Amino acid sequence: MRGRALAPNLRHPFARVIALMCLLFLCVSPAHAAAADLFSADTLSAIADVRIVAANGEKSWTDGGYGKGRFGGDHSENWRLRPVAAEADLIWQPRFTWSLSGTVTVAAQDKQDHPVDLIEAYFKFKPIPKGSTQISAKAGLYWPSISLEHHGAGWQVDDMITPSAINSWIGEEVKVIGAEATIARDVGSSRISGTVGVFGFNDTAGTMLAFRGWALHDYKATAFGKQSLPPLNELLEYGQAEKTRPLIEVDNKPGYYGKLEWRMAAPVTLSIFHYYNRGVPEAVTTRLQWGWKTRFWNAGVRVDPSAKTKILAQALVGRTEMGFREPNRYWVDTKFRSAYLRVSHQIKTLTVSARGDWFETRERGAFLDRAESEKGWAGTAAASLHISSNINIIGEIIHILSERGGVRQEELGLPRNQHQTIVQAALRLTL
Amino acid sequence: MRIWPLLPLLAFASPAIAGELIFQLTDAKGAPVRDAVVTLYPQGRPVPITAPARTYQIAQRDIRFNPFVLIVPVGAQVTFPNFDPVRHHVYSFSPVKKFELKLYAKEQNRAVRFDKPGVVPLGCNIHDQMTAFIKVVDTALSVQTDRSGRATFGAVPNGPVLAHVWHPYLRAPANQIELRIASGPGRQVQSVNLSLRAPPQAAASY
Repeated sequence: MRGRALAPNLRHPFARVIALMCLLFLCVSPAHAAAADLFSADTLSAIADVRIVAANGEKSWTDGGYGKGRFGGDHSENWRLRPVAAEADLIWQPRFTWSLSGTVTVAAQDKQDHPVDLIEAYFKFKPIPKGSTQISAKAGLYWPSISLEHHGAGWQVDDMITPSAINSWIGEEVKVIGAEATIARDVGSSRISGTVGVFGFNDTAGTMLAFRGWALHDYKATAFGKQSLPPLNELLEYGQAEKTRPLIEVDNKPGYYGKLEWRMAAPVTLSIFHYYNRGVPEAVTTRLQWGWKTRFWNAGVRVDPSAKTKILAQALVGRTEMGFREPNRYWVDTKFRSAYLRVSHQIKTLTVSARGDWFETRERGAFLDRAESEKGWAGTAAASLHISSNINIIGEIIHILSERGGVRQEELGLPRNQHQTIVQAALRLTL
Repeated sequence: MRIWPLLPLLAFASPAIAGELIFQLTDAKGAPVRDAVVTLYPQGRPVPITAPARTYQIAQRDIRFNPFVLIVPVGAQVTFPNFDPVRHHVYSFSPVKKFELKLYAKEQNRAVRFDKPGVVPLGCNIHDQMTAFIKVVDTALSVQTDRSGRATFGAVPNGPVLAHVWHPYLRAPANQIELRIASGPGRQVQSVNLSLRAPPQAAASY
C-alpha cells in the first residue's frame, strides 16, 4: 500500500498534476527557456520542525482515543513528556514563465498513514496587472483560501504552533483538487477581490468533525494517506471505514466555493467564504468511504491596529450529512460552529500571541444522535522568537475543555467532560 | 531628505533671494511624517532643473524596494539593481510610466527613463508585499521629508509660492494638497498637519 502511494500511477489525479508539470518542463520553448527556473536554489526550500512536548489528558485520535489535541497524556491521562520530530517539508516552487509558477510540497509528519506524502501540488497563473484590476488563477491540489493563520508554501502557522479549531479542521479535511480564478480591483484606497472555484476529491470532508468533534492540532491532510478516527459506536463501526481518506472522489459530483474579500483603506480586511462539496450522502465506496454532503460559511476579519499588532478572528458555521435515511434522518447529520479571536504583538524579535476558541457540534443523525453533540472551549498562548531568517523557536501552551457524551460515555465509560493541556517548544528551521 | 545638488547655485543665480523655508509635516497624532514630497513653484512656475544628469536607483534587497520614495527630475534614468538571491518582476501601470522589468537574481543592470512628471507606484508581481513610489518632478525646488518630518529649502525667491505636498497615503485627491504661501527673507517654518490613511495590508498569502 505504501509503495503504491509513493509511486502513483497516471490514473490518479495527483499523478496527472505532477505529469502535467513534467510535461511543461519539456515544453518550455526556447523563447521561454530563459524565463523558466526549474531547479535553481531559488526554487527549493525545506522546513523542519522538532519539538519537546508535555501533554496530559485523553489519548489523541491518532492513538485510538478521543483526545482533543495532537498529543495526549500517558495511559492514566497524566503528564507525558516526549521529543517529537513533528514535521519536515520539502518545497519545490518552479517558475515556468514570469506569470506561471508551480508549488509542490512533500511532507513527513509523525503518526500519519504514510511517513512521507504529498500535501500540495498546484499551478499558479498571475499575469502582470495592466491597470487597477488584476486576475490570477490556481489549479491542482491545494487548500482553499480560508485560514487567516497560515501562510505560504507548506502552509505554516504564523507565530504559533497550533492553529485554531477552525483551521485545524480546514487543514485535515478541507483540501481539494480543483481550479479557481480570482479577480481583484483597487477601488479608491481599498481593494476588493472575488474568487470562485470548482473542485472534486473532497467528498469525505466532515467525517472527522462528526465522529471525533473539533480538535486543535497542526496535522495536514495528505494526498494519499488516511486519517485515524476515534472508536465509532456499534451502529456505525461496520458502516464506516476505520480511517477516513480526506482526498477522494466518491460521487463524481464536483463541488464549488466562492470568496469575497474587502481590504479596506483602514487597516481592516473582511472576508466571507462559502463551500459546498455537493456530496451525495448515500454514495459509498467498496472500502466504506462515504460522500458526505458538507457545506459551510466562514467569515474572517483581520485588523492591524499598528505595524506590530495583529488581530485575527474567524467564525465558521456549517452542516454535514452522511449515510442512508433511517427513516427521515441521515445516519449522520452534524451541524457545526466555531469561532476564535487571536491577538499577536511583536516586541523586537519576539511575537507573543493569545487566542480563545469556542466550538460546538449538534448531532441529529439516526445513528449519531443528540448525545454525541459537543461543546468546548480552548485557550492558547504562544511566544515565537525570531532568531534569524532560518531559525524560529516557538513555545506554546493550550488548554482545551470539551463536553461530549454518546459512545465515549456509554460504551467506553469515559467522563462526559474532558480537560487537556499541551505544552510544546518547537525549533523550526527553514532552509 | 534629498535636494538637488545644484540648488545652492540656483540661489546665487537668482536675483530675488530669500532665506530658508522649512516645512514641518505632522500627522493627526502630531507624529512627524517622513517620505512626503514637497515641491515649490515660485510665482506658480516651476524652477528649471539645471542639475547635470545623473542616475538614480531603487534597489531590491531583502524582498523590499529601497528607497520607499524616490524623487527624480523629468527625464531621469532610474536603475533597479536586484541584490536579492531571488527574482523580481517589477512593474508599474501608472499613466506616467508603464513598464515591467523581469529581473533575475542578482541582476543589476536594468534601467528605465521617466519622461513625464507625476507619481509612479511600483510593485513586484512575485512578491505582493513590495511597494515603492517614484515622484517625477518638474521643478528644482523638490525635497523629501526626513525622519523628523522636515523638508528644508535653502533658498526660495521672495514672493508668492505655490507648494504641493504629496504622500502616498495622504487623504486627498491624488494624495496631494496645495498650499499658497508668501516667501520672505530670513528663516520661515511652515507647519502642515496631514491626515494619512493606514498603509495597505499585504495580501494574505493564503
